[in-house]
Amino acid sequence: MATSSSASSPAKATKRRMWLGYAALIPFALVVIAYEFLPLAQILIDSLIGKESGAPGLENFIKIFTTPLYQQSIWNSVWISLLSAVVGIVVAFLAARFAYESSERVRGVFTLILNMMSNFSGVPLAFAFMVLMGNSGVLTIMGRTWGIPFLADFDLYGSQGLVILYIYFQIPLATLLLLPAFSGIRKEWREAAIILKATPIDYWFKIVIPNLMPSILGTLSVLFSNALAAYATAYALVMNNFALLPLQITSKFKGDVQVDAATGSALAVVLILLMVACTLINNHFTKRAAKGREIV
Amino acid sequence: MSAHSKSAPRGKKTSLGAKIFLAVVGLYLLVPFAVTFIYSLFVEWTDILPSGFTLRNYIELFSNATFWASIGRTLVLCLVSVVITIALLLLAMYVVVAINRKLGNVMQFVCMIPYALQGVILSIGIISLYTGTGTVLSNRMVMLFGAYTILVLPYIYQGIRNALNAIDAEMLIQAAEMLGCSRFRAYVQVVLPNIVSGILVSSLLAQSIVFGDFVLANNIAGTNYQNIQVFLQANMDKSSGLSSAIVVIIFLVVGAVTALVLKLQSSARKTEKE
Repeated sequence: MATSSSASSPAKATKRRMWLGYAALIPFALVVIAYEFLPLAQILIDSLIGKESGAPGLENFIKIFTTPLYQQSIWNSVWISLLSAVVGIVVAFLAARFAYESSERVRGVFTLILNMMSNFSGVPLAFAFMVLMGNSGVLTIMGRTWGIPFLADFDLYGSQGLVILYIYFQIPLATLLLLPAFSGIRKEWREAAIILKATPIDYWFKIVIPNLMPSILGTLSVLFSNALAAYATAYALVMNNFALLPLQITSKFKGDVQVDAATGSALAVVLILLMVACTLINNHFTKRAAKGREIV
Repeated sequence: MSAHSKSAPRGKKTSLGAKIFLAVVGLYLLVPFAVTFIYSLFVEWTDILPSGFTLRNYIELFSNATFWASIGRTLVLCLVSVVITIALLLLAMYVVVAINRKLGNVMQFVCMIPYALQGVILSIGIISLYTGTGTVLSNRMVMLFGAYTILVLPYIYQGIRNALNAIDAEMLIQAAEMLGCSRFRAYVQVVLPNIVSGILVSSLLAQSIVFGDFVLANNIAGTNYQNIQVFLQANMDKSSGLSSAIVVIIFLVVGAVTALVLKLQSSARKTEKE
């Protein structure tokens, strides 16, 4: 077909067909513009139009950085996310290390548990912890019966509870992300280290951990942004009654109070900036991790 | 501990310390679900041990029409939004594979943005943009489908891209073109049949993400169009027995999908090795 009919101007026909081919991009582009770019632009514009004055400027941002509730929300979001990410990564590092050293059967069972439980988050997770540690939770009753104050007086519906829940959903994710990195650690390194009279502490802190550092930091940033944006878990636990960035943002657009797009959008921009910073850090480290592996 | 593992040949035998640590982590992860499961099977649990075995919660749940309606809605949302995303991306990736490779980077960037944004930002952006515009776009259902399409973009994109790379789609198209087939026909008749199994895994993964979504459904549709997660949240304060049964059902459904994904992935890996 291509040889006979379009022989007169094959170059032209190919070019026309090429332009026609670009039409395949149109549906995708329309949906992405309508539901990804325009909503983002809307948030950005709303955040820059002052709530009181109606004039463009940083009024909304000045307001959120001077209002105690919003300051508290940003601060709570950052420290809860950071704490859960750090605890998550420490547990995950040890778990991945032990799983990597284990027999195939043990590793298989453990990875299956990780995969299954990594889905257990959001509203179901919050409910499960209410059954476990709520006001009449199973562990709370045990704590009261046996006199364990930590369990009996545990405050699930506050920062304590949020930290416990966030750590819970970080562990499977972190371990699944870190496990592959351990395959980059060569058996010979340990042998070489032992021959050179390195202690086990030297081996772990001077060889293994520095080598895994890009993966560890990359995973840490994924965990941090994962916790930062988590909404369902927190909402199911404390509703809007806690100073947390995602809860405060959503309550400005939905719920009993009047819609306040200006403040909500400004808070959303703060969240976006935190997330973008995380993604950039993650990209930086995953690139370095890939490079490091090539050299080895 | 480290002295112990030093002497043990790696990858053969599991040391005791490793076993204990992994068991503790595994238990920590399993206990909340296990307790909820037991809770759902008993009349009450106000002492150390639960009392009065019963299937009442499940019978009540399965005879609840609202439950089935919310399950139905969730499944429609999962299927339709994932199918839309796959169709959009397959068309768009034709351009990347057959016409202009340079667009690949742009596509990747656009498809990865939702991964960084996640639900809260996406949902409030969409509601503040379209609510009250009085057009078809302000319909909550339309908004919700649009939002899910964007939410699953990163997962479907990665699945399709990996599948296209694995079969070297560009070379296949060039070969078909040399044999007198048009590029688009080559893409549809040669490339697509070869990547179906690759797309399957990522679409299952995407469906389990839509199934587990609460943020978008709650913020955009809310009580107007309850999905299963919103249904659970609405019941949490009313009946803890019923809610525990919903949690178990959600977990079993998502667990089954995950098991299927893992099985497909491992069998794909095996054929790759062969």
